[in-house]
Amino acid sequence: MNSKLAGVVAALALVLAACGSGQEGPAGVGTATPDAAAVIEIGSQYEPQNLDNTAGGGQGVTEAFNGNVYEGLFRLTDAGKVENLLAKGYEVSDDGLTYTFELREGVTFHSGKALTPADVKHSIERVTADDSQSARKSSLEAIESVETPDDGTVVVELAHRSVSLVYNLTYVWIVNADAKDLATAEDGTGPYELGAWKRGSTLSLDRFPGYWGTPPANNGVVFHYFTDATALNNALLTNAVDIVTSQQSPDALAQFTGNPDYRVSEGHSTTKLLLAFNDRKAPFDEPLVRKAVSSAIDDAKLLESIWAGHGSLIGSMVPPTDPWYEDLTKVNPYDVELAKRQLAEAGYAKGFRFTLDTPNYDPHPTAATFIKSELAKVGITVDINVITADEWYSKVYKNHDFAATLQEHVNDRDVVWYGDPDFYWGYDDKQVSEWIKDAERARTPEEQTELLKKANRRIAENAAGDWLYLYPQIVVAASNLSGYPVNGLNSQFYAYGIKKS
Amino acid sequence: MKGRHTFAAGCVLVGLVLAVAVVSLVWLPYDPSDTTGGRLAPPGGEHLLGTDKLGRDLLTRLMVGARIALTVGAGSVLVGGVLGVAAGLLAGFATRWLDDALSAALDILIAFPTLLLAMLVVAVREASLGSAIVAIGLAMSGVVARLTRVLVKRVLAQDYITASRTSGTSWPRLVTEHVLPNIWPTLLVNLALQLGLAVLAEASLSYLGLGPPPPNASWGRLLQEAQATVLTAPLGAVAPGVLLVVLVVGVNLVADGLRDLADPTRRSSR
Repeated sequence: MNSKLAGVVAALALVLAACGSGQEGPAGVGTATPDAAAVIEIGSQYEPQNLDNTAGGGQGVTEAFNGNVYEGLFRLTDAGKVENLLAKGYEVSDDGLTYTFELREGVTFHSGKALTPADVKHSIERVTADDSQSARKSSLEAIESVETPDDGTVVVELAHRSVSLVYNLTYVWIVNADAKDLATAEDGTGPYELGAWKRGSTLSLDRFPGYWGTPPANNGVVFHYFTDATALNNALLTNAVDIVTSQQSPDALAQFTGNPDYRVSEGHSTTKLLLAFNDRKAPFDEPLVRKAVSSAIDDAKLLESIWAGHGSLIGSMVPPTDPWYEDLTKVNPYDVELAKRQLAEAGYAKGFRFTLDTPNYDPHPTAATFIKSELAKVGITVDINVITADEWYSKVYKNHDFAATLQEHVNDRDVVWYGDPDFYWGYDDKQVSEWIKDAERARTPEEQTELLKKANRRIAENAAGDWLYLYPQIVVAASNLSGYPVNGLNSQFYAYGIKKS
Repeated sequence: MKGRHTFAAGCVLVGLVLAVAVVSLVWLPYDPSDTTGGRLAPPGGEHLLGTDKLGRDLLTRLMVGARIALTVGAGSVLVGGVLGVAAGLLAGFATRWLDDALSAALDILIAFPTLLLAMLVVAVREASLGSAIVAIGLAMSGVVARLTRVLVKRVLAQDYITASRTSGTSWPRLVTEHVLPNIWPTLLVNLALQLGLAVLAEASLSYLGLGPPPPNASWGRLLQEAQATVLTAPLGAVAPGVLLVVLVVGVNLVADGLRDLADPTRRSSR
């Protein structure tokens, strides 16, 4: 009996050590000629919930399908530029309320049907529909109607100006209006069509022979899904995958940096880790308390602990890739004495106690532990309540039943959520809402940028949340791979340019 | 004598962990939430075993972990022992349908995986030290109850019990005077074995994030947190693993030793 038990214990202790072994490099690469017949094996930690981005498909379906299977009227390139894609061009009326889009000819869906303006109308209306769960739904609220006057044109009428309309349309997938059940199947116009989706394991994309544009540089891609970062890195070390879309463990990088068989690239990310307060309820309805908490936490040290020198501090909701970025890290500097004074001024000289709802996956529990020890220094007691992603969604996001929470926000240009008092954190500031509303109705991007900078500065001054840090975007690939995206903007991952030699 | 040596070796191992836990109550090298140590500092100098990602001293966390492991182990044995012995006595004395019903219930409880049961308990309550103790104790009570039932039935079948019953002894007195004194050595050995299993179960629960929430330094949580840094700072994963082995092997040696000492047939068959 006891030998069996001892075996179990030993296994539990040693299985971890074993996880990191097997450190063989990939086979030597003889030639440098791209192999158009090669299939690219992609490792990711973000498996789609379903295949529809208007039905809660999540970050995973954006990563796998955006630009690969589905295309928009416009494309947001990896460098953050907006380019024409299914639209050849567009015109805006002088009052800024009518957009006329000219569609590209010769585009067919994977099912063989030709692209028509009716499909575009249907696709936009899917996102704005009442039951749509698209994260971008509110950005398209200006759209009043979509008309299809002829075979090659789509006309969008707006209720008010919307300076980011074209940008926002990069997120609207154009789908076949006749397609059924898009949660498990697809019918897009992209360079790849869906091969097979084995839930919990892989999703393969095959080259679409009827693609209108430049064919992909490879013969197809397979996304391999892992829930565990260590397992994913081992897959890369043993050649089971060629590339990891987003490396989540800095300590695993040591295996790849300095190894000629791999290349590590650090690009720009838009993912922010937030300590979000419930701005509706005491004590966090008081800006001074929120500022004190922000100043009591050493963000630089937290970032160093979790990311070991990668990533950056931003001091607010806007990452450097958004046009209205400003370095606001000095607004609520790390200063324990300042935090104590602010707490005293707010009437909490002896501190207080609150529960921090913490999602159960990394890095949240580690960050929560750190915050607890930091806030203890100013007399604030933190009770860490670990919850699942589902619980977070219902308890925090829907029911607003929380004091403070930790969450990563992946989207770009999402500072606009501070203009919505009904959002989960309940930041209700008439001035900010107005600036954000006016920014979208601005005549020029410059005017929009100016207003959003003001809004961003103000939420930082009021510590609407505590923006702990901006994630790094680290892509690790076998060195025989080239042409892959390095910036994880809005978590998309264009696979069509990837070459294997 | 083999039993005596096994018992002594087990006591040394368990005593070691117990001593660490007791010391941790009065003295720790650092505050468990002190994050001033620097990220993954190597062993030696200021931090004997190095630090974790947040700069917390590993030795401090291991010492606090010993306390948690022993608390959960002892707590669940108490819960499992009390529930199990009570249910076992009831089933042992019961006849026909009640015995059948209890036995069936125990079989179901035993067939239920401990971790799954723990997840249910955590879902109903919350992830905490108490939940872990309740969950592991509940799972354990099935095994203890079944063993107790068999032992009780065996004792009750003896002629002297029949004699005692006919002379009008009440069943509470039967339990305290005849049944318990006859079955406790076997029960004790079993409970000692269960203690080892409980320590392991707690480590697994914490590893899965279902144990006491952070910043509690349970050994299972230490293993989980060290997983990502196992290549750069292997001691973070090795040290809690070794301590788990020491404690569980120690507890099992104690149990084996107890069995050998308590069982006359083993004593003579050297």
